[in-house]
Amino acid sequence: MAAEVSTTEKGRPARTGRPGHLARFGRPKRPGRPTPVGHARERGDRRLGYMLVAPVVILLLAITAYPLVYNLWNSFHFDNLSYGNLPHNFVGGANYSKMFKSAQWVSALERTLVFTAVTVAFDMVVGLGLALMMHRRFRGRGFLRAAILVPWAMPTVVSAMLWKTMFDPSAGFVDYILGAFHPAWSSIAWLGASVWRSWIAIFIADSWKNIPFVAIILLAGLQIIPNDVYEAARIDGASWWQSFRSVTLPMLKPAMSVALIFRTIQALLVFDVIYIMTGGGPGNSTETLSFLSYNTFIINTDFGEGGAMSLVLVVLALAVSFVYVRAFRPQT
Amino acid sequence: MHRNSLTRWRAGAVAVAAAALATGVAACGSSGPANSTVAGGATQTIVFAESGLGTEGQQTQVAINAFEKANPNIKVSVQVLSSDSTTYLSTLEHDFISGSSTPDVFESDVTYPAKFAQAGWVASLTQFHPNMSQFFPHEVAAGTYNGTYYAVPWFDNPEGLFYRTDLIKTPPTSPAQVVSDAEQAMKTDKSLKEGIAFEADKYEGAITAFLTVDSAFGGTLNPQNVNTPGNVAALNWLHAAIYTSHIAPQAVTGWQEGQVEEQFVSGYTPFAINYPFVEAQPMVAAVKGHVGYIPFPAGPGGTPGSALGGEMLAINAKTAHGAAAWKLIQYLTSPSVETARAIAVGDPPSLPSAYTSALYSSAPYFKDVYTLNTYSAPRPVTPNYLQVSSDLQTLFSAVYANASASAAGAAFAAGASSIKSDANATPGS
Repeated sequence: MAAEVSTTEKGRPARTGRPGHLARFGRPKRPGRPTPVGHARERGDRRLGYMLVAPVVILLLAITAYPLVYNLWNSFHFDNLSYGNLPHNFVGGANYSKMFKSAQWVSALERTLVFTAVTVAFDMVVGLGLALMMHRRFRGRGFLRAAILVPWAMPTVVSAMLWKTMFDPSAGFVDYILGAFHPAWSSIAWLGASVWRSWIAIFIADSWKNIPFVAIILLAGLQIIPNDVYEAARIDGASWWQSFRSVTLPMLKPAMSVALIFRTIQALLVFDVIYIMTGGGPGNSTETLSFLSYNTFIINTDFGEGGAMSLVLVVLALAVSFVYVRAFRPQT
Repeated sequence: MHRNSLTRWRAGAVAVAAAALATGVAACGSSGPANSTVAGGATQTIVFAESGLGTEGQQTQVAINAFEKANPNIKVSVQVLSSDSTTYLSTLEHDFISGSSTPDVFESDVTYPAKFAQAGWVASLTQFHPNMSQFFPHEVAAGTYNGTYYAVPWFDNPEGLFYRTDLIKTPPTSPAQVVSDAEQAMKTDKSLKEGIAFEADKYEGAITAFLTVDSAFGGTLNPQNVNTPGNVAALNWLHAAIYTSHIAPQAVTGWQEGQVEEQFVSGYTPFAINYPFVEAQPMVAAVKGHVGYIPFPAGPGGTPGSALGGEMLAINAKTAHGAAAWKLIQYLTSPSVETARAIAVGDPPSLPSAYTSALYSSAPYFKDVYTLNTYSAPRPVTPNYLQVSSDLQTLFSAVYANASASAAGAAFAAGASSIKSDANATPGS
């Protein structure tokens, strides 16, 4: 009698080296689906995969998940380091309630949202323009592509200090340029003396650093759009604008979603540029949620309310990411 | 079998992760109980945390070498935490919160002792019977909380009014004269860019600059009620310097002590409110040798003004080496060591007895510093000073950005209750 050969439902022989009788012990056969094959190898591969990612998973659990969970725990407890010898009693939602009722927090939320909307919109528009420019062929394109990354590669603390110096009313570059155009435009105190001028300076410093990031992401997106599509559009008589609107923008959506998510989260969490340039002033007119969170953690040493503030920021960032992911989901 | 092995594998992975986390958490939280007390005569090593870098750090090491020579049984390990005050404070706090018994002895800004005392992080000095009467009283007050001494004055930085003696022939005797002298100097010397420079950026220096002027108008910075006529008048004077008399540029709203110093030593201003360190800085020829340093002149009902800055020394509540730590503090705050430090790096002594003829012959400006130290007013002594400071910085910053003449009065009226509330905040409030 010929040896029984294990076959799939479609009659295809099982993979070499896998004894047919083992199929009985594998995953139960589901009706209408082919019998799974190669379980031993799959198990081995999967195990190897787990082992390879285990160090990273453990590290992430330790430095991301643990602080997040601990923060959540803190936010429902009294935990002020200035009263370190007092018990960390459960306070329910008191930290959240105090935060939501605080006019300072509500104002910081409004400022953060406005800052995010304005700066992200501006960065996306200018970044797209730069990406389109860098996508064209011209002499020195390689150098420009490398040079444009310099602001982004610079630590924010450094770039904020540079911009603070540049906005100095007596020795700054901005004052020098404006004074060259009109004497009355010189010796203007940008930071600390006016709410609007402080915000303008912050926007400029923030956008200078972040526009290159958007431009590079969008440039990468532009480079993977096949030329054939543009040629087809051209043959069909599409103008530059029609081609941009109907070919470039739709095909750039994946890259735009990445840039939008990153930039929005960065803008929502903006801290260092404000801390360095204005310290939240004049008054508290440039305080954002992260700045307030820093004050609560570091100045007030209140890890209960600080935990609540930072978790609300996390939820806000997740919500925005979720909205973007839904909005940019590929149409099926 | 597949599912079982996978389940076991997952369980194993979770166990490994949990173990790693538990180990990490345990490592982070390890503190160990405080050791039993070690006698001052026993051989031991103590840890001294300080912020000094550069020449200040070197001078501390010189003093510690001499201390170790005089006390061969005590070795001192120096920890330079950070020259940045925020980082320094948070590093210290992390040590204290973890229950660490080190540093055994540490440097503290004049605004920290009350906070440390309330948290139970710093040892009461009563057990050592300190003789606090030998120090300038204002700095002693900064280290006293609920009637108990917690920190010893190390050096004492009084902020006051610098003026150019070549442009201002006689020192002003009233706030109004500061304005008129500044205006006159600006008319006379066209190389001047402004009449007065002071710190008005949103940071701690804005509070000490205000305090320097405050008592001249009869004000006191009591967080229980900051809305007083004296405080309003003092802030009005600073505000008017920017918006009314225009002797200060609007740029002061971004100036800290470094920028103020630069304006003065570069010869751009005849008056500047700043700390004694300016005296030791390189100056342009027009300024060099023409520097006067006085308390801010008093107006009607006021007293000459100066704000207290400086550093203190304190002992960790958990240390087992309290006796040795106290010996080190006594040594570092002895008159000869303080005088040597003042000569070497310009840190003004906290002991009146350290202002010797040797010091004056080396650096005559210490005569002025001595005078200022008799007037210097401490910032509010409260465990919640950082919150009060944050409120005050916001208040001053808002006023300096508002051209309205009533800005100061309105800001104090609006902010007084929240400052009081922050100063009195208790757990859970």
